Amino acid sequence: MTEDAALLSCRGLRKDYGKDAGLVRAVDGVDLDVAAGETVAIMGPSGCGKSTLLHLLGGLDRPASGEVRLAGRRLDQMSERALARLRQDSVGFVFQAFHLMDELTAVENVELPALLAGRPARAARRRATELIERVGLAERARFLPAALSGGQRQRVAIARALANEPHVVLADEPTGNLDSAATLEVLRLFESLHAAGQTLVIVTHDSRIAATADRMISMRDGVFIDETRLTGGSRGGLGALAGLEGLS
Amino acid sequence: MQQEVVLALLAKEPSHGYQLRARLRQALGPLGEGMNAGQVYVTLTRLEKAGLVASEPSAGRPDRPDRKVYELTPAGQQRVADWLAEVSWPGPAPAEFHLKLVAAAAARLADPLTIVDAQRRELLLRLRDAQRAAMAEPDGSEAGLLLEGLVLRLQADLRWLEECERHWTSRRD
Amino acid sequence: MSRLRLIGRLVARDLRNRPGQAVLMLLAITAATATLTLGLVLHGVTSQPYQQTRAATRGPDELAYLGSPLASPGPRATGSALRKLVRAQAAALAGAPGVTGTSGPYPLAGALVRANGLTAGAEAEGRDETPARVDQPRLTAGSWVRPGGVVLERTFAAGLGADVGDRITLNGRPYTVTGIAVTAAHPPYPNLCYYGGGGCLAGPPGNDSPRDIGLIWLTRPDALALATPANPVTAYVLDLRLRDPAGAEAFANRYELGDAATEVVPWTGIAAADGLLVQDEQQVLNAGAWLATLLAIASVAVLAGGRMTERTRRVGLLKAAGGSPGLVAATLMAENLVLALAAAATGLVIGWLAAPLLTSPGAALVGTPGAPSLTGPAAGLVLAVALAVALAATLVPAIRAARGSTVGALADAPRPPRRRPRLLAMSRRLPVPLLLGMRLVARRPRRAVLGAANIAITMAGVVAVLTFHATAGQRINGGGSGLSDPVYNRDEQVLLVITVTLLALAGLNAIVTAWTTMLDTRHPAALARALGATPRDVAAGLTAAQLLPALPGALLGIPLGLGLFAAADHGGLLTVPPAWWLAVAVLAVLAAVAGLAAIPARVGARRPAAGILQAETA
Repeated sequence: MTEDAALLSCRGLRKDYGKDAGLVRAVDGVDLDVAAGETVAIMGPSGCGKSTLLHLLGGLDRPASGEVRLAGRRLDQMSERALARLRQDSVGFVFQAFHLMDELTAVENVELPALLAGRPARAARRRATELIERVGLAERARFLPAALSGGQRQRVAIARALANEPHVVLADEPTGNLDSAATLEVLRLFESLHAAGQTLVIVTHDSRIAATADRMISMRDGVFIDETRLTGGSRGGLGALAGLEGLS
Repeated sequence: MQQEVVLALLAKEPSHGYQLRARLRQALGPLGEGMNAGQVYVTLTRLEKAGLVASEPSAGRPDRPDRKVYELTPAGQQRVADWLAEVSWPGPAPAEFHLKLVAAAAARLADPLTIVDAQRRELLLRLRDAQRAAMAEPDGSEAGLLLEGLVLRLQADLRWLEECERHWTSRRD
Repeated sequence: MSRLRLIGRLVARDLRNRPGQAVLMLLAITAATATLTLGLVLHGVTSQPYQQTRAATRGPDELAYLGSPLASPGPRATGSALRKLVRAQAAALAGAPGVTGTSGPYPLAGALVRANGLTAGAEAEGRDETPARVDQPRLTAGSWVRPGGVVLERTFAAGLGADVGDRITLNGRPYTVTGIAVTAAHPPYPNLCYYGGGGCLAGPPGNDSPRDIGLIWLTRPDALALATPANPVTAYVLDLRLRDPAGAEAFANRYELGDAATEVVPWTGIAAADGLLVQDEQQVLNAGAWLATLLAIASVAVLAGGRMTERTRRVGLLKAAGGSPGLVAATLMAENLVLALAAAATGLVIGWLAAPLLTSPGAALVGTPGAPSLTGPAAGLVLAVALAVALAATLVPAIRAARGSTVGALADAPRPPRRRPRLLAMSRRLPVPLLLGMRLVARRPRRAVLGAANIAITMAGVVAVLTFHATAGQRINGGGSGLSDPVYNRDEQVLLVITVTLLALAGLNAIVTAWTTMLDTRHPAALARALGATPRDVAAGLTAAQLLPALPGALLGIPLGLGLFAAADHGGLLTVPPAWWLAVAVLAVLAAVAGLAAIPARVGARRPAAGILQAETA
């Protein structure tokens, strides 16, 4: 894919921490292209730099070298203020720890990015209510995060990430703190977002999430080592894997 | 395995063959769609020969096996009880795949990493299918539970494949 | 015993790990204790110097003013009629029961003094060149009266800027200053005419304001020569010694009634007038000490509150390891008590060392009272106040921490922020910095109240100082002679010390509050930036969070300050400072708050958001 067609791309991205003997190359020369509407999963062991990469792609951190392009604009040269504006309308973040404000209800959490972008209060509230319904939490819109389960909290966080209609949603270990059932809730939501054409980049060590992606990239020690395109059907039947040799 | 399964399904009450088939299909959901129609009757016949099951012709045509009513014999009941108390579990890591990699590396027939990557892709696709199937099931369905087990197993296997990749990468360097 | 040692070790380790906060708390309490010590030391000092002066000058027990009784109508006796009257009155008093000795009578004349370009009125006492038995003023420079020479009372000389050897004119005639002296028989300039009833009996013609009159001594002939037909000598003063000085008031009262009453002033009245100079200081210092203590409590509360949230984890560990809630609370408070003790000791030393700078009390009184003594009870009081401050500010958080659930503490969950739906709804329509600021305030309302209180107290101090300047300026301007008013000067000095202390404390408080807020809001600030708020918005929001409570605090401080001044001034008429002074003061305080808050705000807003958000998940 050429750079122009990609919605989000980076070239030669590098980020280091520490210095001299304690130098850690968190991201060590990464190239990536993400097309519009694509879901890309980045998998790797902990400490491999995938979270750092995501922060660099979303403008939350500055690379040591390399360039990042989002919707045609270069991120690595932007001022902090410009990056903030970018986050307002191009990027939505989903974190492993949800990072909801404890004293705000679900709908107040979701409308926050719109308010911070200076949108009028009524429009922000309306959009937030729509998004809460979209993620299936309409009856819990006025609940505080403490009264929500883990899966519900993450769904609120995803709704918040969509508040300003971002070009791309970046998710950092979205199911890291969730149990199996909650993971399923989030999975369903990601699938529906994917079906609606939202571009997603998900960092995860959960292969279930990766299985929903169009592309799965393996990362280790700051570099991409492998890419798998997940198209087509599987060759074997599910039954065999389930131990149904005798009955099939 | 399947013999004990059929026995257990009969433990509730004597049933026709087609009733057993229906119950199996319901419990297996989409996985049961590939099931051979005649397999159940073959199993029932074997069980009858082993004395674990007894059959009685019902009204109608006695020579059609799906019209017979099957029930457990005392020996069959004992067998079921023993089976329920067993705790053996199908083996974890596929030894076959492991040996495949070792042999390929030793004989330089193929790059183990390529094999691992191919297997990984396959498992990922299966995981995707199993996951989609699981999500399509209504909440609390028995088939859904089975699919969940499948998904988790595939996850574990994929994790092992990651380890395999790391091992064989370092072996190569 | 081992429990005490355990507590001791925990406290020592904690102080080692967080020296910065320990120092801040130490500073806050020390400021309060130092101010308090100053006040107490001065309190002990004031009553002494008059006694010393009295002893050194053979001060009289009674001062009698002889001449026409004040109540009698018509012109007052002068010339030989006066002398005859005075002789009779003096003889009667000398023979009165209880009187063991007299000096005088000395003539009193009014003089217009011109020295160093300044003009002032004076009351001249005509004296003998030989020392008197009762009331012989003590020279601090130069020599006693001689023909052509004048001795000035010390405070008056300081006001005129005159020294021994200077040439001055009295009623147009040249004289040389031969000496400077102090006396216990009259209050020092400018309180010469302060008595209950009566007043100065001599003063230059046309001088309406008694505040400008000073005391001078001349030889008898020189004093009498000052009289003019327009302003003749109409009174003489007689010094009396009593067998029983304690009965001075009773003796004086006997002569207050009747037409033939002569004015008799007991030495206690003079002592009280003497004390006026330091009384003002006393009140100002007391008020200042209270303000400083309140500010110290506020500072310590903010600091203690900030430290408590970090400390909850340690509390959880202590309790999980078997510590009872009592042990836990004791450990938490022990640390602050140790700091309070150290602060009390430091404050005592500072106050004790600083007291001599302020205790050359009313230059009229003899010398310095030596090293100001810090009495046992005074030291005990300072210690008690320091401990009380530490206790007051840390008791509630300590108990809460000790009683709270162990599991919660181990999970390191700080107190959850409060939810205020109305404030949240209100903030939605505001521009982003105000939105952030208001929501930050709503999260920790108690801290906002503390911040407002801090500003109110500071503002009260500033307003009290402004009121002092406005009021004193009004009073002084009535006199118009241009002399420096030692009361005003002294009060100004003390007020300066107090104001500087208060401002320093307030500044400390503001920085601490802003810093604590910044630390507390790291997560919401980082999150806001991750969600699209610009760093400028976030910094402005943090600053707004400090300003929003500061504004009502500053406005509240105005009536507080006026009330403080009125209470300290005991019924004197106060002049409300002009509105524009107050407006400037409010703006200056708010600007200071904004400026002090901006530093931690900018620091906090620039830190990479990613790092903070990552850390919170750990």
